[in-house]
Amino acid sequence: MSVTVPERLQQARSGTERPSAHFSAPTSLAEVLDALAAGAVPLAGGTDLVVGHRQGKRLLPDALVNLDHVADLRGIVEGVNGSLFIGALTNHETIVNDERVRSSYPALADASSIVGSAATRATGTIGGNVMNASPAADTIAPLLCHDAIAVLRSTGGERRVAFGELFVGPGRTTATSGELLVGIELAPSSATTGGAYVRLEYRRQMEIAIVGAAAVVRLDAGGRVEYARVAMTALAPTIQRVPAAEDALLGTDAGAAAARAAGEAVAAAARPISDVRGSASYRQAMAAVITQRAVTTAATRARGGVVRIPASDSTFGGRAGNEGSGS
Amino acid sequence: MASETLQMTGRLRADGRSKVTGAGRYVADLTVAGMVHGAFRFAGVPHARITRLDTTAARALPGVFAVITSAEVGTRRHGVYVQDRSLFAHEVVRWEGEAIAAVAARTPALARQAAALIEVDFELLPAVVDLEQALLADSALVHEDWADYTVSGDVVRDRNEATRCAVVKGDVDAAFAVADRVVRSRYVADGSQPTPMEPRAILAEWSGHEVTIHSSTQVPFPARSHVAASLGIPESTVRVIVPLLGGGFGGKCEPHFEPHVAALARAAGRPVKVVFNRQEEFLAPDHRRERMVLEFETGVADDGTLLARRARLLIENGAYSADEPVSTQLAAQFAVGPYRVPNVDVSSHLVYTNTQPTGSVRAPAAPTVCWGLEQHLDEVAAAIGIDPVEFRRRNLVHAGDTTATGQVFDEIGAIECLDRATELIGYGRELPADEAIGVSCAFWPSFPMASGAYMKLNGDGSGTIITGAQENGSGSVMALPLLAARVLGMRAEDFSLVYQDTSAAPWDFGSAGSQTIFNNGRAVVAAAEEIALQLRELAADQLEASPEDLELVDGYARVKGTPARTIAIADLAATAQGGNLMLGRGSGDPAPIPESDSSGCIGRLGAESFTAPTFATHAVRVQVDRDTGVVRVLEVAAVQESGHILDPDGAIGQVRGGVLMGIGQAISEGMVDGADGARRNAHLLDYKLQTASDTPVMHVDFVDLPTPNAGPFGSKGVGEPCTVPTPGAIANAIAIAIGRRVRQLPATPERVWSVANGVEL
Repeated sequence: MSVTVPERLQQARSGTERPSAHFSAPTSLAEVLDALAAGAVPLAGGTDLVVGHRQGKRLLPDALVNLDHVADLRGIVEGVNGSLFIGALTNHETIVNDERVRSSYPALADASSIVGSAATRATGTIGGNVMNASPAADTIAPLLCHDAIAVLRSTGGERRVAFGELFVGPGRTTATSGELLVGIELAPSSATTGGAYVRLEYRRQMEIAIVGAAAVVRLDAGGRVEYARVAMTALAPTIQRVPAAEDALLGTDAGAAAARAAGEAVAAAARPISDVRGSASYRQAMAAVITQRAVTTAATRARGGVVRIPASDSTFGGRAGNEGSGS
Repeated sequence: MASETLQMTGRLRADGRSKVTGAGRYVADLTVAGMVHGAFRFAGVPHARITRLDTTAARALPGVFAVITSAEVGTRRHGVYVQDRSLFAHEVVRWEGEAIAAVAARTPALARQAAALIEVDFELLPAVVDLEQALLADSALVHEDWADYTVSGDVVRDRNEATRCAVVKGDVDAAFAVADRVVRSRYVADGSQPTPMEPRAILAEWSGHEVTIHSSTQVPFPARSHVAASLGIPESTVRVIVPLLGGGFGGKCEPHFEPHVAALARAAGRPVKVVFNRQEEFLAPDHRRERMVLEFETGVADDGTLLARRARLLIENGAYSADEPVSTQLAAQFAVGPYRVPNVDVSSHLVYTNTQPTGSVRAPAAPTVCWGLEQHLDEVAAAIGIDPVEFRRRNLVHAGDTTATGQVFDEIGAIECLDRATELIGYGRELPADEAIGVSCAFWPSFPMASGAYMKLNGDGSGTIITGAQENGSGSVMALPLLAARVLGMRAEDFSLVYQDTSAAPWDFGSAGSQTIFNNGRAVVAAAEEIALQLRELAADQLEASPEDLELVDGYARVKGTPARTIAIADLAATAQGGNLMLGRGSGDPAPIPESDSSGCIGRLGAESFTAPTFATHAVRVQVDRDTGVVRVLEVAAVQESGHILDPDGAIGQVRGGVLMGIGQAISEGMVDGADGARRNAHLLDYKLQTASDTPVMHVDFVDLPTPNAGPFGSKGVGEPCTVPTPGAIANAIAIAIGRRVRQLPATPERVWSVANGVEL
């Protein structure tokens, strides 16, 4: 009888290390879009594309177009009507250190501050994190909760796609191969809006999301939730909002009971898998715990309270920003 | 709270700058003219008979220079205790990482491609994985021909039992009958990996009938012997050189792939370099920590006096026996621990399985057995209502105590370690509800053996040490100049080092068993003493004094009590250049092995007594996130008695690293093996090492106790005992924090969560 050697061993010894045949590094967006139209794949920080290639996950594409020299794609600028526009090539380190992001979109700062390692955050870009479309990507759930718009450009023009319409499956988006994510537009925030992203972490650096949750709430003058967004990470084939959890928060004081209800709604909506990182039942239980912490932190921030970024660290053990929960 | 601990001096290590700046060269960095690249073909299945092995397609690939299998290199069996394996799989593969063939080709990618083109047909055999089932009479055998294998030493075998060891003393049953309480515990440990930063690499180059092998090994001399024996050539024709070594932690102990690559280079007719990727480093070497099943039973009096211990330890051998048989005997000793136990009946069983072979990793067997025993002791203390630290204090060994094997301890500092560690952590203080402090004690032997060094004093008064010792990153070799300087009244920076070259230096066992300073330090001191003698004789002529009246201080030879009558060592060295060169050589007499009574021992492989034993206590403060099960280690007090401390920088660094490795083993580093014998997490994303950010506050201190019958200046080994108590201390802290005990290693978040919340997994 013949036996197929496990794929992972095959990868270790087969000759998958093959460079791309074509590599360009233009300085203008127009040239990049031309290259994409001709079939090239964009290269930003390379923390998924290159590392994945070296691990034998996938071959490098035949043609790569490096975005690094297109200065227009980098940076954070204020848009009209109080929105904030983050260039796709902006790295996580820049996002974490941006005072506008920290104060108005802390859920995103929570996420960007825990992507990979310090080296990953200095190299990896938000555009890459989003368009890699991993079900475990840290920035996507916060962006969903901030009603972010993906601004896509191609030689055919510009297209604006709501984040809720962007993801199709693991590694797959609704963007066409000729389209480049040039930036992300975040809806205006307000003084009574608070957000948070919390991730289950087995250690304090170099983690991948096993369970994550983002929450954004806005309180009315009476301290009641008038706007709620809850999204879950690594609990389904795509990162997605959980309407039942949002409904559980609307009209409440976003206190412990509401946070618990939101957590239960996320656990109910989750479709976790069992693998070496954790069983499905553990993930399901953690979906509730982590969501509860994200909601509670978001509410604390909405009330003007301070919960240190990253929330994953400061809510460890159910301590900060998580009153009424845990031990 | 914490008083002053031993402080670092800030001395710059000789190899530090090149390592930190990246200028240093490791094997993978080397290139020689005409070099091609090698790759292995691994089994990919845990247990199977090879029904067809066809290398035709691989050989036909353009750019391939050689393909070798057992057909080319022979099927001679080797193994330090049980000769149960050959260089390449022969007829049967017994674990998924077993090498079947090796290929040399123009590029690394071509070599891997060619390795994949080798066609192998397997008839699958049942995989033996579970330790308890492997010992059942109806279990499939990992080695059908086990009875025909040659063994060395007192290896007691039976089918899947690769060896069995026992330590018996007194009458356990009688003691249990009169004990106030008899407490039983069972613990199950996953295996773990040494995970050196540098995956191994080997470069072999032939010149006529001589071969030079650059290898990332911890043991260049044993590697040389293995190459010579495997290829049937004299050791004088084999030169093993280690450039910088990127860590080993035991994973690069014992020879591994040097003969394979030497044979491949010979077949290819040109130099061949093989560089492992991380996945191969996880799956293919035959050294890593063992899975264990640990059962303890202890009889105790209500006043806290230990009366008797019974224990049964099942230890994973994996597919082949590396140096694990002796670790199995050590394990039996660790099941007694550094405590007074008058009645003992311990057996340890080394079990063949179709998994990666196990073998010594930093303090082999000790951290895992200690993890079980120290939890068991906390359970015993709880059963009689005594504080766990007080319980240990009443039972720890003192000087003059007799062990289970009849060894009588010299001056030792076990109690002092416990007292100091609990003082440093502030044991007993108020803590938040989700925090707790756990404590664990351990002991570990030093290993006396031969070791050699040369020394020469150059004409300008500088010195060169040519040592057989291997620097694995611990700083042990870097500390040898401190010893030479101490003998010669010179500065450590006056000496250069030639090391890690088997053709330059005398024999040494390698970087293993915390033995480098213990044995090679002694050799360097002996070599330096020869130079000192020559210096004093030369100075005696010039100072018109008797050599016995001279001392070497601050770079000068001077008459004792008359500091004005001096001559510089540099001047003496210059004088010597015109006549008899100043050369020293040394090995020195190894510390004597303590007497013991091994009449109650089975499986005697040299661990019946512990020469120059070291002692350690770790006290650890953890915080447990009860809702997620994630454990954070916040603070560690690690106190060790390793005799006299010679190099504070090296010693403190070793303890810090040992603690961090222990934390990993305790909470995050577990290998996940399926029931089919396939590893599920052979990569760094899911085999979770602790990171710099996870490193807790550490208070490191030593009970400095110059010890007779030990290493140079009364020193003992340092690098291994410092990782032994950590997992047990953490496990005890977790148990106190959540009020229940996690009986599996590591205490992963899911396991802690399930125990803390009473959820069945």
